[in-house]
Amino acid sequence: MSEKLLPAGFEALEPFVAYWAQPTNDKRWDQRARAPMAEITAFYDAMYDRAEDAIAWLDENYPLGQEMPEDARNLSCLLLGLGQAAIAVEMHRQPRSPYSVFPHGIYMKSGPWPLG
Amino acid sequence: MSDVLENPKIEVPHAIDLTRKAGLGTGPVPVEPYVSPEFYERERKLVFGRAWLNLGRIEQLPKANSYFVKPVEACNAQVLVTRNADGEIKAFHNVCSHRGAAVALEECGVRNRFTCRYHGWTYRNDGELIGVTDPDMFFDLDKKQLGLTPIACDVWEGWIFVNFQKRPEVSLIEFLGDLGEVFRGIPYMNTHQALIIEANFNANWKLIADAFAEGYHVSSLHPNTLAPSFSSDKNKFARPVGGRAWGAHRSVSTFGNMDYVTPENSKVERLANMNNGAIVLAGDTGEQAQKLLAHRAINQAKSAHWSADLTWLFPNFNIDFSPGGFWTHEFWPTAYNKTRWIARIYMPTATSWRDRLAQEHYAARWGEVVLEDVSNCERIQIGLESGAKDHIILQDGEFMIRHSLETINKWVNAKTVKEALS
Ligand code: FES
Ligand SMILES: [Fe+2]
Repeated sequence: MSEKLLPAGFEALEPFVAYWAQPTNDKRWDQRARAPMAEITAFYDAMYDRAEDAIAWLDENYPLGQEMPEDARNLSCLLLGLGQAAIAVEMHRQPRSPYSVFPHGIYMKSGPWPLG
Repeated sequence: MSDVLENPKIEVPHAIDLTRKAGLGTGPVPVEPYVSPEFYERERKLVFGRAWLNLGRIEQLPKANSYFVKPVEACNAQVLVTRNADGEIKAFHNVCSHRGAAVALEECGVRNRFTCRYHGWTYRNDGELIGVTDPDMFFDLDKKQLGLTPIACDVWEGWIFVNFQKRPEVSLIEFLGDLGEVFRGIPYMNTHQALIIEANFNANWKLIADAFAEGYHVSSLHPNTLAPSFSSDKNKFARPVGGRAWGAHRSVSTFGNMDYVTPENSKVERLANMNNGAIVLAGDTGEQAQKLLAHRAINQAKSAHWSADLTWLFPNFNIDFSPGGFWTHEFWPTAYNKTRWIARIYMPTATSWRDRLAQEHYAARWGEVVLEDVSNCERIQIGLESGAKDHIILQDGEFMIRHSLETINKWVNAKTVKEALS
């Protein structure tokens, strides 16, 4: 049970868990900012396809704020990672804003609840 | 090429002559305040050392005996802000009377007493020294005289201010002037949750404050993140829809693109039901938001093309309002060319995972905006320090920057605060 990375039905997203399922807003931002565009796009495409299902599954089984087992937690972090990937894919068409400095001294000290 | 330089078509009513109406000059302004260590020393002493400085909101002290510690490098201070059981808020230097160690070692928490970790002297959260270890070994110890050193502290509309003058020459209310009166009664919503972004970078503190004082740069510096929401073909360079000076303070009402439609390819924004781009900056559209819009201080021109009010309290604090709520900026200098910037964007609690995804996207956009402004400011600092320019040029929509510089100039030259405020 506990070694399952993702809930049943979401196995196809398993290759993305290690890199993209990060527990805080700041970590998810940093991972997106450091990833090559091809990897961001691969994750974005795969996650976007399952985003509606992931939202429905999470709302049904683990409404916001409930304690989650690892597989559900991974799925929720992946879903939020999509919000980050979208900035690169839809907004900048590159991992970070054009001409931005990196690394930088900016961090999300506290993100929105939960998994902020 | 030449069409780039021409005035764009402006198809919306906008504000004009903000600079002259605020009683400001119109010429170039000196670069010196941004690059001079000597000027910074005068700012530290005569601006930060004499003005009322915002340290946060009362919600950062949620319970009886809550406290937080805040560094104010410009004044070489670590400020311990406490709330006692009766709800009274006080501020002290976080410095033990015995030999100067810090008495509070965590950034925030709940405690009614603080025990110094060096030798264990204990203080109540009203500053009084209540315990000395091995007291018989001391000579003529008068505990009454050995409390924590207080810092003048006052609260306005839930905002906590301190003043480093031993006896502040003016009260907080006098300092705020008309703004303090007109901005009373604003509903501050979602105060329980803030997205907090902290940035430490290499630029003078005024450069980043200036970046949040005008919309002129939005279409150029923030083409993907903000431009679609805060400019349009009807007002390409985001001329403001209102603005004015308030004594030492100032505010501007910025333009919003009311024709914004979430682009086809913004698939995640669409998935997350985000229909307002970046405009509903604080992310709330509820009933409280309507109350905010109706307040006399907000969007004073009651423009139909309004997106936000940027309210810049002298010297280094912004309270900004949008249809969705409010956010703040603290611009703290840590050296003449170094800044710590803290943005707090107050947000409602998400009620579904779709909502939470929208908030992630919204926070991510903010992160990019901060990155764009910080990157730009660091380059400006390098540029200005080169000595290439003695002056910078300001247009009418940038009047808040001019007002800030003129006000600072007044303060660094005034013998008294009363004179600076006159
Ligand atoms: S310095 Fe605090 S008890 Fe000695
Ligand atoms: Fe900006």
